[in-house]
Amino acid sequence: MLELDLVTPGLTRLLSEEAPLDRIYHGMTFGEGPVWNRRDSKFYWVDIVGDTIYRYTPGTGTEVLIHPSEKANGLTFDREGRLNVAGWASRSVWRVENDGSVTTLASLHEGKRINSPNDIVVKSDGGIYFTDSPGALYNPAMAAEDLQQYLDFQGVFRISPDGKKIDVVVTDVVYPNGLAFTPDEKTLYVNCTRKGEITAYDVKADGSVGKGRLFHKLTGPEPGIADGMKVDTEGNVYCTGPGGVHVIDASGKLLGRIRFAEHCTNMAFGGPDTKDFYVTTYTSLYKTRVGVAGVAVW
Amino acid sequence: MTLKFEKVAQVEGAAGGLAWDGKAMLFTSMVMGMAGGNILRYDPASGKTENFRKYTVLTNGIAFGPDGALYGCQESSRRVVRFMEDGSTVQTESQINGSYHNQPTKLTVDNRGRIWFCDPHSTVRSFGPQFVPYLDYAAVLRLERDPQRKLWEIKRMTFDTTQPRAVALAPDDKTLYVAQTDNSPGGLRELRAYPIEADDVLGPYRLLHTFGRDYRGEQRGIEGMCTDSAGNIVAVAGSAKNGPGALAYVFSPTGAVLETHAIPGDTPMNCAFGDAGLNSLYVTTAAGELWRARDCGRQGRAFAK
Repeated sequence: MLELDLVTPGLTRLLSEEAPLDRIYHGMTFGEGPVWNRRDSKFYWVDIVGDTIYRYTPGTGTEVLIHPSEKANGLTFDREGRLNVAGWASRSVWRVENDGSVTTLASLHEGKRINSPNDIVVKSDGGIYFTDSPGALYNPAMAAEDLQQYLDFQGVFRISPDGKKIDVVVTDVVYPNGLAFTPDEKTLYVNCTRKGEITAYDVKADGSVGKGRLFHKLTGPEPGIADGMKVDTEGNVYCTGPGGVHVIDASGKLLGRIRFAEHCTNMAFGGPDTKDFYVTTYTSLYKTRVGVAGVAVW
Repeated sequence: MTLKFEKVAQVEGAAGGLAWDGKAMLFTSMVMGMAGGNILRYDPASGKTENFRKYTVLTNGIAFGPDGALYGCQESSRRVVRFMEDGSTVQTESQINGSYHNQPTKLTVDNRGRIWFCDPHSTVRSFGPQFVPYLDYAAVLRLERDPQRKLWEIKRMTFDTTQPRAVALAPDDKTLYVAQTDNSPGGLRELRAYPIEADDVLGPYRLLHTFGRDYRGEQRGIEGMCTDSAGNIVAVAGSAKNGPGALAYVFSPTGAVLETHAIPGDTPMNCAFGDAGLNSLYVTTAAGELWRARDCGRQGRAFAK
């Protein structure tokens, strides 16, 4: 059963307190990177500190897909159905090819090693966007091999569809973490863990973005930070924050929150109708149902 | 003699560790926040201070090894790192018997290249989730390379410290000086001398000095120290709050107070010898100051690059 904080009645169309809340997996240290693969109808996520990428088959169970994973963080699939990984401690973005081999897509910017890719999303044109905050350079148990930060900014990067160019698209977010497009892909949302804000950017035809504007500021006295973020097909934004998962409508207004006693890290839509809703916490993977389908991953 | 301190640099945040590189004095700045400060380089020939290394993540103590390797204590990230000459930064080893150690503050390297570092509990935290539990003790630990595999491993050296915050070695590596500095109410603030026994363990310590308290609170104990070429201990301690104030002390190996010198800045953090001949004494403070007293009447000892 879900515990909801209703801010406006509109939330009940999206979420119901009658919905089941199942714990799919537990025993992790830092669950993250949830993503549904519509091709194999399986769910993928990571334990960063546990250095593992997991795969869950509904009705069957969970298996270890990749271990060690160099502290893999955000996961997504590209248009060819290949797993794309924000490599936290590898300090790179990498892809699992269909034959199981691994290709590095990005590790340098202007000859300098990037910080530590955090989360990742693929646009319909095949461009790969990822946040590059330096979290893997601070914490014991999640540390990269080279701990030196070289870049003077924490950016959002875009890998061009042909993989040949890696451009900086956002530099004005203090600690960029979660990122997601609106359903029409005309807007890119990037959240900031430090300031608890979601910034909206107009996306240009060439894949770059315009000047950012404040879309929403997360509030609440409970523990919890801006981390994972996803969008549904109506443009509602789901973002981790104080107390659980915050649900914000397309105009930037808070509809309410799904309360979690545990620290939430990220979420993803899944299932045949994209109305399954998975949430990772530090220790667990949860699953519930929502009323409006999410934006499906390719 | 009276030392004449001059302020030679001022940086953002607190200034911490010091290491003479042969030509200039490296010192750390610690700034709360993600970047966490820098290593700076004060060149006495030009009088200029330049950035040596950015984004050092609250690196406090720094020291060169006999082979010229530069090591640092990343207090919030709970590891002793090596700052490589190519600009990268790598871990040594941060686990002892499978557990992550606490928050290293100061270190010194012996003639065999082994790194002695103090590992107290502190309130400094790295950005991000705090998953890793602390050790249930706070000791002086020693990093050394496994002779076969050449990997770093950590050994626990003290079993009777609660907040070791500074370490120094006698020139012959036969005595380890430890500042047990717990500045909280009722905490012990002592300078101790541990003999390093032939079987490579520490013998019972001799108490060289202790700091008192009065109605104004605990007198701040030793935060940083080094040894001179004659084997005396030069230490910085104290604050303007109480006691005799911020002082540089010179202790004999038996604990006699040979000299004290008032430091113009408050809350001294560390001290080291530098300049040609290693005849100047440098002191850092929590206010980001780097002070120097030329011709201090003693000669330091240092590995350099």
